[in-house]
Amino acid sequence: MTTIRIPTPLRPYAGGESTVAVSGGTVGAAVDDLTQKHPDLRQHLFDGDKLRSFVNIYLNQEDVRYLNGADTEVAENDTLMIIPSIAGGLN
Amino acid sequence: MLKLSDELHRQVMAHGASAYPFEGCGLLLGRVESGVNLVTGLRPMANVWPVEEEKRERFRIAENDWRDAEFAAMAADLDIIGIFHSHPDCEPVASPRDLNWASWPGYSYIITEVLQGEPTHSRSWQLKADRSGFLEEEIEIE
Repeated sequence: MTTIRIPTPLRPYAGGESTVAVSGGTVGAAVDDLTQKHPDLRQHLFDGDKLRSFVNIYLNQEDVRYLNGADTEVAENDTLMIIPSIAGGLN
Repeated sequence: MLKLSDELHRQVMAHGASAYPFEGCGLLLGRVESGVNLVTGLRPMANVWPVEEEKRERFRIAENDWRDAEFAAMAADLDIIGIFHSHPDCEPVASPRDLNWASWPGYSYIITEVLQGEPTHSRSWQLKADRSGFLEEEIEIE
Protein backbone atom coordinates (compact mmCIF):
# COMPACT_ATOMS: atom_id res chain seq x y z
CA MET A 1 0.00 0.00 0.00
CA THR A 2 0.95 3.61 -0.44
CA THR A 3 1.87 5.56 2.69
CA ILE A 4 0.65 9.08 3.41
CA ARG A 5 2.54 11.11 5.99
CA ILE A 6 0.15 13.20 8.06
CA PRO A 7 1.14 16.74 9.11
CA THR A 8 1.50 17.05 12.89
CA PRO A 9 -1.66 19.12 13.58
CA LEU A 10 -3.84 16.77 11.54
CA ARG A 11 -2.85 13.63 13.41
CA PRO A 12 -5.66 13.95 15.97
CA TYR A 13 -8.02 13.55 12.99
CA ALA A 14 -6.14 10.47 11.76
CA GLY A 15 -6.27 8.33 14.85
CA GLY A 16 -3.12 9.95 16.19
CA GLU A 17 -1.01 8.30 13.50
CA SER A 18 1.87 10.00 11.70
CA THR A 19 1.41 7.80 8.65
CA VAL A 20 -1.59 6.07 7.14
CA ALA A 21 -1.46 3.23 4.64
CA VAL A 22 -3.91 3.79 1.80
CA SER A 23 -4.99 2.06 -1.37
CA GLY A 24 -5.66 3.51 -4.79
CA GLY A 25 -3.76 3.66 -8.03
CA THR A 26 -3.58 7.44 -8.27
CA VAL A 27 -2.86 10.34 -5.97
CA GLY A 28 -6.53 11.32 -6.04
CA ALA A 29 -7.69 7.81 -5.18
CA ALA A 30 -5.13 7.53 -2.39
CA VAL A 31 -6.26 10.82 -0.83
CA ASP A 32 -9.89 9.77 -1.19
CA ASP A 33 -9.08 6.53 0.61
CA LEU A 34 -7.39 8.53 3.37
CA THR A 35 -10.45 10.69 3.92
CA GLN A 36 -12.75 7.69 3.81
CA LYS A 37 -10.66 6.02 6.51
CA HIS A 38 -10.53 9.26 8.50
CA PRO A 39 -13.50 11.45 7.52
CA ASP A 40 -12.61 14.21 9.99
CA LEU A 41 -9.53 14.94 7.91
CA ARG A 42 -11.57 15.99 4.93
CA GLN A 43 -12.54 19.45 6.20
CA HIS A 44 -8.86 20.27 6.72
CA LEU A 45 -7.78 19.14 3.28
CA PHE A 46 -10.73 20.04 1.08
CA ASP A 47 -12.88 23.07 0.46
CA GLY A 48 -15.87 21.47 -1.23
CA ASP A 49 -14.56 19.08 -3.83
CA LYS A 50 -11.20 20.80 -4.26
CA LEU A 51 -8.08 20.68 -2.18
CA ARG A 52 -7.74 23.79 -0.06
CA SER A 53 -5.59 26.37 -1.75
CA PHE A 54 -2.69 25.94 0.68
CA VAL A 55 -2.64 22.13 0.50
CA ASN A 56 0.00 20.52 -1.70
CA ILE A 57 0.53 16.83 -2.26
CA TYR A 58 4.01 15.48 -2.86
CA LEU A 59 4.72 12.07 -4.32
CA ASN A 60 8.06 11.09 -2.83
CA GLN A 61 10.11 14.23 -3.67
CA GLU A 62 7.82 15.70 -6.34
CA ASP A 63 4.93 18.14 -6.13
CA VAL A 64 2.17 16.37 -8.02
CA ARG A 65 1.11 19.67 -9.62
CA TYR A 66 4.20 19.24 -11.77
CA LEU A 67 3.43 15.60 -12.51
CA ASN A 68 -0.09 14.67 -13.44
CA GLY A 69 -1.98 16.16 -10.52
CA ALA A 70 -4.58 13.95 -8.91
CA ASP A 71 -4.23 11.53 -11.81
CA THR A 72 -0.57 10.87 -11.04
CA GLU A 73 -0.06 7.15 -10.64
CA VAL A 74 1.21 5.82 -7.33
CA ALA A 75 2.89 2.51 -6.60
CA GLU A 76 2.99 0.22 -3.59
CA ASN A 77 6.06 1.66 -1.92
CA ASP A 78 5.45 5.31 -2.72
CA THR A 79 5.08 7.91 -0.01
CA LEU A 80 2.71 10.84 -0.27
CA MET A 81 3.30 13.92 1.83
CA ILE A 82 0.86 16.73 2.58
CA ILE A 83 2.76 20.03 2.51
CA PRO A 84 1.17 23.40 3.35
CA SER A 85 1.88 26.62 1.53
CA ILE A 86 2.77 29.11 4.25
CA ALA A 87 2.86 32.86 3.93
CA GLY A 88 1.95 35.85 6.01
CA GLY A 89 2.95 39.31 6.97
CA LEU A 90 1.84 42.63 8.27
CA ASN A 91 -1.54 44.11 7.54
CA MET B 1 0.54 26.37 24.88
CA LEU B 2 4.01 26.68 23.41
CA LYS B 3 7.07 25.66 25.43
CA LEU B 4 10.65 26.35 24.46
CA SER B 5 13.96 26.98 26.13
CA ASP B 6 15.34 30.44 26.66
CA GLU B 7 18.17 29.55 24.29
CA LEU B 8 15.80 28.56 21.49
CA HIS B 9 13.73 31.69 22.03
CA ARG B 10 16.90 33.74 21.79
CA GLN B 11 17.62 32.03 18.48
CA VAL B 12 14.12 32.88 17.22
CA MET B 13 14.65 36.50 18.23
CA ALA B 14 18.14 36.58 16.68
CA HIS B 15 16.80 35.22 13.41
CA GLY B 16 14.27 38.04 13.28
CA ALA B 17 17.02 40.55 13.95
CA SER B 18 19.28 39.09 11.26
CA ALA B 19 16.47 39.31 8.70
CA TYR B 20 15.67 42.95 9.53
CA PRO B 21 14.41 45.09 7.80
CA PHE B 22 12.73 42.10 6.16
CA GLU B 23 10.59 39.44 7.74
CA GLY B 24 12.44 36.31 8.79
CA CYS B 25 10.80 32.94 9.10
CA GLY B 26 11.39 29.34 10.04
CA LEU B 27 9.91 26.19 11.48
CA LEU B 28 9.48 25.00 15.04
CA LEU B 29 10.52 21.38 15.51
CA GLY B 30 9.66 19.15 18.42
CA ARG B 31 6.67 17.20 19.53
CA VAL B 32 3.17 17.60 20.89
CA GLU B 33 2.75 16.44 24.48
CA SER B 34 -0.71 16.57 26.06
CA GLY B 35 -1.72 19.40 23.77
CA VAL B 36 1.44 21.41 24.42
CA ASN B 37 3.72 22.26 21.49
CA LEU B 38 7.16 21.50 22.92
CA VAL B 39 9.95 22.98 20.80
CA THR B 40 13.27 21.16 20.79
CA GLY B 41 14.79 22.58 17.62
CA LEU B 42 14.49 25.24 14.95
CA ARG B 43 14.90 25.27 11.21
CA PRO B 44 15.38 28.75 9.80
CA MET B 45 13.81 29.02 6.35
CA ALA B 46 14.36 31.35 3.45
CA ASN B 47 11.76 34.06 2.99
CA VAL B 48 10.95 33.47 -0.68
CA TRP B 49 8.36 36.22 -1.06
CA PRO B 50 8.92 37.10 -4.72
CA VAL B 51 9.20 40.90 -4.45
CA GLU B 52 12.30 41.87 -2.47
CA GLU B 53 11.05 45.19 -1.15
CA GLU B 54 7.76 43.66 -0.01
CA LYS B 55 9.67 41.29 2.29
CA ARG B 56 9.55 44.12 4.81
CA GLU B 57 5.97 43.07 5.41
CA ARG B 58 5.57 39.68 3.78
CA PHE B 59 7.02 36.24 4.06
CA ARG B 60 6.55 32.99 2.25
CA ILE B 61 8.06 29.55 2.78
CA ALA B 62 8.67 27.51 -0.37
CA GLU B 63 6.86 24.20 -0.50
CA ASN B 64 10.04 22.38 -1.58
CA ASP B 65 11.85 23.86 1.43
CA TRP B 66 9.07 22.61 3.68
CA ARG B 67 9.35 19.18 2.04
CA ASP B 68 13.08 19.11 2.81
CA ALA B 69 12.38 20.17 6.38
CA GLU B 70 9.81 17.41 6.71
CA PHE B 71 12.32 14.78 5.58
CA ALA B 72 14.97 16.17 7.94
CA ALA B 73 12.50 16.19 10.83
CA MET B 74 11.53 12.59 10.10
CA ALA B 75 15.19 11.56 10.11
CA ALA B 76 15.64 13.24 13.49
CA ASP B 77 12.40 11.73 14.85
CA LEU B 78 10.93 15.19 15.27
CA ASP B 79 7.78 16.84 14.02
CA ILE B 80 7.09 20.25 12.55
CA ILE B 81 4.90 21.85 15.19
CA GLY B 82 4.80 25.48 14.17
CA ILE B 83 6.13 28.45 12.29
CA PHE B 84 8.10 31.43 13.54
CA HIS B 85 8.35 34.75 11.78
CA SER B 86 9.19 38.34 12.59
CA HIS B 87 7.29 41.60 12.26
CA PRO B 88 9.75 44.42 11.54
CA ASP B 89 8.72 47.58 13.38
CA CYS B 90 5.28 46.18 14.12
CA GLU B 91 3.70 44.48 17.09
CA PRO B 92 3.77 40.66 17.06
CA VAL B 93 0.07 40.18 16.50
CA ALA B 94 -1.23 37.72 13.93
CA SER B 95 -2.53 39.83 11.08
CA PRO B 96 -5.42 39.37 8.64
CA ARG B 97 -2.76 38.41 6.11
CA ASP B 98 -1.40 35.79 8.47
CA LEU B 99 -4.98 34.54 8.79
CA ASN B 100 -5.64 34.47 5.06
CA TRP B 101 -2.56 32.37 4.49
CA ALA B 102 -2.69 30.19 7.57
CA SER B 103 -2.84 26.44 7.26
CA TRP B 104 -4.16 24.18 9.99
CA PRO B 105 -5.23 24.71 13.59
CA GLY B 106 -2.66 23.17 15.93
CA TYR B 107 0.48 24.80 14.58
CA SER B 108 1.98 27.47 16.83
CA TYR B 109 2.62 30.76 15.06
CA ILE B 110 5.19 32.59 17.15
CA ILE B 111 5.83 36.14 16.01
CA THR B 112 8.71 38.32 17.16
CA GLU B 113 8.59 42.08 17.03
CA VAL B 114 11.84 43.63 15.76
CA LEU B 115 12.13 47.38 16.36
CA GLN B 116 14.89 49.22 14.49
CA GLY B 117 16.75 45.94 14.18
CA GLU B 118 16.38 44.93 17.83
CA PRO B 119 14.06 42.06 18.77
CA THR B 120 11.80 43.04 21.65
CA HIS B 121 9.41 40.21 22.45
CA SER B 122 7.38 37.40 20.98
CA ARG B 123 3.76 36.34 21.15
CA SER B 124 2.30 33.11 19.87
CA TRP B 125 -0.97 32.30 18.17
CA GLN B 126 -2.98 29.34 17.01
CA LEU B 127 -5.63 29.28 14.33
CA LYS B 128 -9.13 28.74 15.71
CA ALA B 129 -10.71 25.41 14.88
CA ASP B 130 -13.27 27.13 12.63
CA ARG B 131 -10.47 29.12 10.91
CA SER B 132 -12.21 32.40 11.78
CA GLY B 133 -9.22 33.95 13.52
CA PHE B 134 -6.23 33.41 15.74
CA LEU B 135 -6.21 32.85 19.48
CA GLU B 136 -3.19 33.87 21.48
CA GLU B 137 -1.51 31.03 23.31
CA GLU B 138 0.72 31.14 26.34
CA ILE B 139 4.47 30.88 25.75
CA GLU B 140 6.39 29.14 28.49
CA ILE B 141 10.11 29.88 28.25
CA GLU B 142 12.20 27.56 30.40
